[in-house]
Amino acid sequence: MTANKSDRVTRETAATRHVGFTVNGQYHEFRVGSGGIEISPTHTLSWTLREVLGLMGTKVSCDSGACGSCTVIMDGKAVLSCKVLTIECDGKTITTIEGLRDPKTGALDPIQQSFIDHTAFQCGYCTPGMIMTAKAFLNENPQPTEEEIKDALSGNFCRCISHYQVIRAVMSVVEKEGEHGR
Amino acid sequence: MKQFEHHDALSIEEAVALLSDYEGKAKIIAGGTDLLGALRDEVFLEYPEALINIKTIDGLDYIRSDEKGLAIGAMAGLADIVKSPVVKKEYQMLAEAAYSVATPQIRNMATIGGNLAQDVRCWFYRYPRRIGGPMVCLRKGGKFCSALAGDNRYHSIFGAAALSDISLDLGKVRKGCFAVGPSDIAVALIAMDASIVTTKRSLPAELFFKATALSSTVLDSDELVKEIEIPKLPMGAVQRYDKFTLRKPIDFAVVSVASMLTLNNGVCEDARIVLGAVAPEPVRARKAEQVMKGRIVDEDVALEAAEHALAGSSPLRMNEYKVEIAKVLVKHAIWG
Repeated sequence: MTANKSDRVTRETAATRHVGFTVNGQYHEFRVGSGGIEISPTHTLSWTLREVLGLMGTKVSCDSGACGSCTVIMDGKAVLSCKVLTIECDGKTITTIEGLRDPKTGALDPIQQSFIDHTAFQCGYCTPGMIMTAKAFLNENPQPTEEEIKDALSGNFCRCISHYQVIRAVMSVVEKEGEHGR
Repeated sequence: MKQFEHHDALSIEEAVALLSDYEGKAKIIAGGTDLLGALRDEVFLEYPEALINIKTIDGLDYIRSDEKGLAIGAMAGLADIVKSPVVKKEYQMLAEAAYSVATPQIRNMATIGGNLAQDVRCWFYRYPRRIGGPMVCLRKGGKFCSALAGDNRYHSIFGAAALSDISLDLGKVRKGCFAVGPSDIAVALIAMDASIVTTKRSLPAELFFKATALSSTVLDSDELVKEIEIPKLPMGAVQRYDKFTLRKPIDFAVVSVASMLTLNNGVCEDARIVLGAVAPEPVRARKAEQVMKGRIVDEDVALEAAEHALAGSSPLRMNEYKVEIAKVLVKHAIWG
């Protein structure tokens, strides 16, 4: 006998549904529902990160998937947290800008430091997204060309035109890494 | 976003069963990059009661190649298609089309099935409800297409999609919907004569896209894309894909062209030329294909074919420029 709708729906709601995922090394589990600390099916990951977990480093600018400000790393890939439903993050590993700092020494990630050294921002609102995109990209391709960096960052928009400094900041990380490698 | 129920489907069968349970009031969510924007802006005529997540179905993201050709699971990511060695080597047009979509982050999230099933990008249809209320265009129960009166620079140059046979009391309907088909990948798939396998049928990509003023594909409300099959391309096939946009990343096509020419010593044996973003559906330029067959491909043939490709166009007030862009793209597709 095939299950009908009410069976299927009851199956999901009777056993209270939970969503659990790791953010910056810490595991969080939420009940699905409409209460204060529950995850509603309509919540986006960017909302949960900012409003529930208080991780305000992830910025929401266009909230339409067009600007790259809300980029976080999920299971190794740069994704837009405004276009991810939290309820669909079960079992995922997520890194936000707050998670880049070395947890023991507190030292900034080389990309963060390089953004500071090159003043690769003006207002800074797009910067966490830029850094997270660059981080995911350099993890995959540690020795890219300048063209490849431009391509990787083509989904991150900056209205202050910090792009030139951003490219220089990321290139500088690549060059330093290259020297260490030699 | 307004409330909806959410289900994780564990199999295609379960996803289909859930779709039919909700009788057209549920939507499939794959990558979510198109759907979540539409939900946030409340653009649908009817807000869905439920989303059915198919990312929880295992084994739908394959890219497999054998002597017959290429098979791609509906959940294969666009970034994975761009990176796939076999796609890059033998089906470059598909790699280029997938690469031309949106931004790196969106390509990390979006799937090929979702790209084919995505909704139109017309700026009247997509106008966010929260900013002064919705634009009641033909797709939302209005009496005529807003593009007829408003800024139609990105709309169809090949006429409108007729209102579907769904009986809505609309009074006198003027023409149809002028929104263009948004999928870049569709154009490449039709040029390569791919087939699209759904939960109900397998059909040539060309027949999968069937625009009405309510939908862009033949998909029923309880049907989803399972697989894309691309036959091995003929020996000597020259593939080209090109997309004109104002900005390279993020923009949807103003015009796109995919072509596959089979040449033998410079003589055109077969040609498939497909235009995107010029009409509600991707357009096969059949007359252009015909005039090329049996002839040595040179610049004159390319120019002639480009004229034929746009012969039937009927631009709106603000989009005549698209005709010229399309001609140039067709010419480039044939003669570098």
